[in-house]
Amino acid sequence: MGFLQLNVLNQIEPLAAVGIDLGTTNSLVAVWENGRPKVVHPEGDNGYVPSAVYFPADGAPIVGKEARERAVFDPEHTIFSVKRFMGRGVTDVAEDLKGVPFKAHSGKNGVIEFDVRGRKLTPQEISALILEKCGEVAARATGGRALQKAVITVPAYFDDAQRQATRDAARLAGIEVLRIVNEPTAASLAYGLDQKKQGHVAVYDLGGGTFDVSILAIEDGVFRVLSTNGDTHLGGDDFDRCLVGAALTELSHSVDPRKLDDPAFRQALRLAAEKCKIELSTYPEAEMHIQIPDSNVQWRRRFTRREFEVLTKVLVERTLHSCRRALADAKLEPSQIDEVVLVGGVTRMPAVRAAVQQFFGREPHTKLNPDEVVALGAAVQAHVLSGGTRDVLLMDVTPLSLGLETVGGAVAKVILRNSTIPCQATEGFTTYVDNQTAIDFNVLQGERELAADCRSLGRFRLSGIPPMPAGLARVAVRFHIDANGLLTVTAKEQSTGVTARIEVQPQNGLSDADVQRMLANAYEHAKDDFAARRAAELVTEIGTMLRATEKGLAEAKPQLDRETILDIEDAMKNARNACEGRDARELQRARDAFEKATLPLAAVLMDNFAKKALTGKVIGEV
Amino acid sequence: MTTCPKCRAETATPLCCSACGALVAPERAPTPFEVFGLEPGLTVDGAALKRRLIELSRRMHPDFFATGGDELRELAERNTAELNRAYEVLANELERADWLVRALGGPDERTERALPQAFLMEVLEWNESLEEARRSPASPTARRALESLAAALAKERERQVAHLRAALVPTPERGSPRLAEARKELNALRYVERTLGEIRALQLEASTAQS
Repeated sequence: MGFLQLNVLNQIEPLAAVGIDLGTTNSLVAVWENGRPKVVHPEGDNGYVPSAVYFPADGAPIVGKEARERAVFDPEHTIFSVKRFMGRGVTDVAEDLKGVPFKAHSGKNGVIEFDVRGRKLTPQEISALILEKCGEVAARATGGRALQKAVITVPAYFDDAQRQATRDAARLAGIEVLRIVNEPTAASLAYGLDQKKQGHVAVYDLGGGTFDVSILAIEDGVFRVLSTNGDTHLGGDDFDRCLVGAALTELSHSVDPRKLDDPAFRQALRLAAEKCKIELSTYPEAEMHIQIPDSNVQWRRRFTRREFEVLTKVLVERTLHSCRRALADAKLEPSQIDEVVLVGGVTRMPAVRAAVQQFFGREPHTKLNPDEVVALGAAVQAHVLSGGTRDVLLMDVTPLSLGLETVGGAVAKVILRNSTIPCQATEGFTTYVDNQTAIDFNVLQGERELAADCRSLGRFRLSGIPPMPAGLARVAVRFHIDANGLLTVTAKEQSTGVTARIEVQPQNGLSDADVQRMLANAYEHAKDDFAARRAAELVTEIGTMLRATEKGLAEAKPQLDRETILDIEDAMKNARNACEGRDARELQRARDAFEKATLPLAAVLMDNFAKKALTGKVIGEV
Repeated sequence: MTTCPKCRAETATPLCCSACGALVAPERAPTPFEVFGLEPGLTVDGAALKRRLIELSRRMHPDFFATGGDELRELAERNTAELNRAYEVLANELERADWLVRALGGPDERTERALPQAFLMEVLEWNESLEEARRSPASPTARRALESLAAALAKERERQVAHLRAALVPTPERGSPRLAEARKELNALRYVERTLGEIRALQLEASTAQS
């Protein structure tokens, strides 16, 4: 709010469209400036916003670095890794929920809701708070310029529901989304412009919570994605969990298992594991140490890099399997890849680098900062979308096939995975019983042959088909995937022109009305948060006034008339009562009345002070 | 040929003007061949097609119309979707053949389900060895079986594609009996493609299990 007001007052120009990497662990903003993309960060701060939100007992939520620190002391009220929950249902993320200290349940339309201090918040709302914090950091870095338009990145393997959830988060944060761009594709942009290279490039992106691999052909400023593959549930978090698991197994022999379930302990353990993992990228050995709950015992354990690599081998192998599938879809052999670009913090692990090098038969490119390259690439795309250049063209693909359920539970694929977007395709359907007047459609995303094994994006019905013999109606179902990778489906009966259209509102997604309601709620909450802060300030102020008044009365009571004294005492009592209630408006009224009642006292005290000063007493003695 | 509504020039594609570069809203959905300014036919130069795709994308991609207002942006979005769809059809010989057979009034895969006669016997044999390999794809025997099956299918594919070309080049008249022949070959090719795809997937799984 403060920055917005600042903008209005000073007429500061808003920021040029930025790129935002909304990550599982960290989020980052970059902007195109003086012919190249650069990370937006305030003086003496790297600009990274840890993707964590802490909810204090009263006052506004705290986001970023401070929230991450609080997570250790108050884990139940700190939400992190929220990206894993975007566009998912509770059954999809049951494993993740077991590993986190905060509570969640299934809300309307299967959207996950976190329970924090009596408030129910969706992953979209938490992500919106992180995006708002990114805007705040950007404003701090640029002298108060507002972040209004952005390109936001998502894992390439995000499906329709996860993409829509990301778009909704931005809407909640008041950011206009110019485009949703795939993370490895964004990285390739930053790489390609930096290195001015041509040829086949593989981007291996192992982030905090997701893995993607994309194969691109880069030629004359055209970045054409040939194929993409990945796993939206595989990242640095999982590597940490391997260490956490090993620690818990060893601890369970000597420590009461109930103590090991303590959320604060679990949180500390997770952070210790993360630290150990990072150290193992630099040193051949690292120590994990942690305080055992309710005791003075420190548990210490040295892990060798080799040990860690054995624990995490299966995770690395999963990424290579995705690489194989991506290459097969691009119809390329590993030897035909001219360069491999590493993205994401986990690619600092020597074992990951070695595995990638062995797989592709060449040393990976590591000159770019793997934590920043996605945001930088997003800033390049933001520059293109603002009309800044026509020299760069991004041709991306849809990661998953889209289709419709047919009679018998099979899937008719309408758009195949790795089709260049935007794209459209039309599929013909007909009625299968005489005089059928409606057809139900189930829109599916995924590679499996059976509808039950794919993700249902939504169901819709085309009704009003005139009665006719089976097989005569001609229904055309048109799929359109836009440049953001988002799907719209329209169905039309061609002999009558009856149409049905759905903006696929996916299972686990928010409706427009939901977003509007949340925006209103967030405003209410902002008002509540503001009021709570104001109330706290008033309580402090009244406390100071009370002490000063007591002291003043002791000195000047004989000089005041009885009525004034009664007024003051009355006002003091009211003020004390108001402090019990903590209602900002009540406090404000009590404070103002208190101030008014003490005016005669203040006048007397001022007068006395002046007289003493005149009779030669020094101020220090007053 | 379409006339550009802006500069009145004749334009080679119905989606954007080759003279002034303006986006054009087509009156009816253009065919894939029309989008690329090509005469309908089975033979297409793949490298030239890709060059043309990039050339047209550089003119029509929605990225370049993001600041041009909703109407223009949506037109760019629609036209590029049309372009990409047309490329999907033209870049793949089987898709191209399928489109030609339909466009020339030939049977679709629902009305003509037959397979070439010689093919049927082979299918039974292939299915049997595939079934065996599915059970334990990582075993050395299965790996060898998959390899030889893939080789046999690839050879069969070549033969069928030659038949398909014989049926569709030169482009038949509307309603020609060659269209039904082409459809039968396409049915067989679909089986071969799907089976080859499954073999590749099994081989991928096996190589992952191996390492």
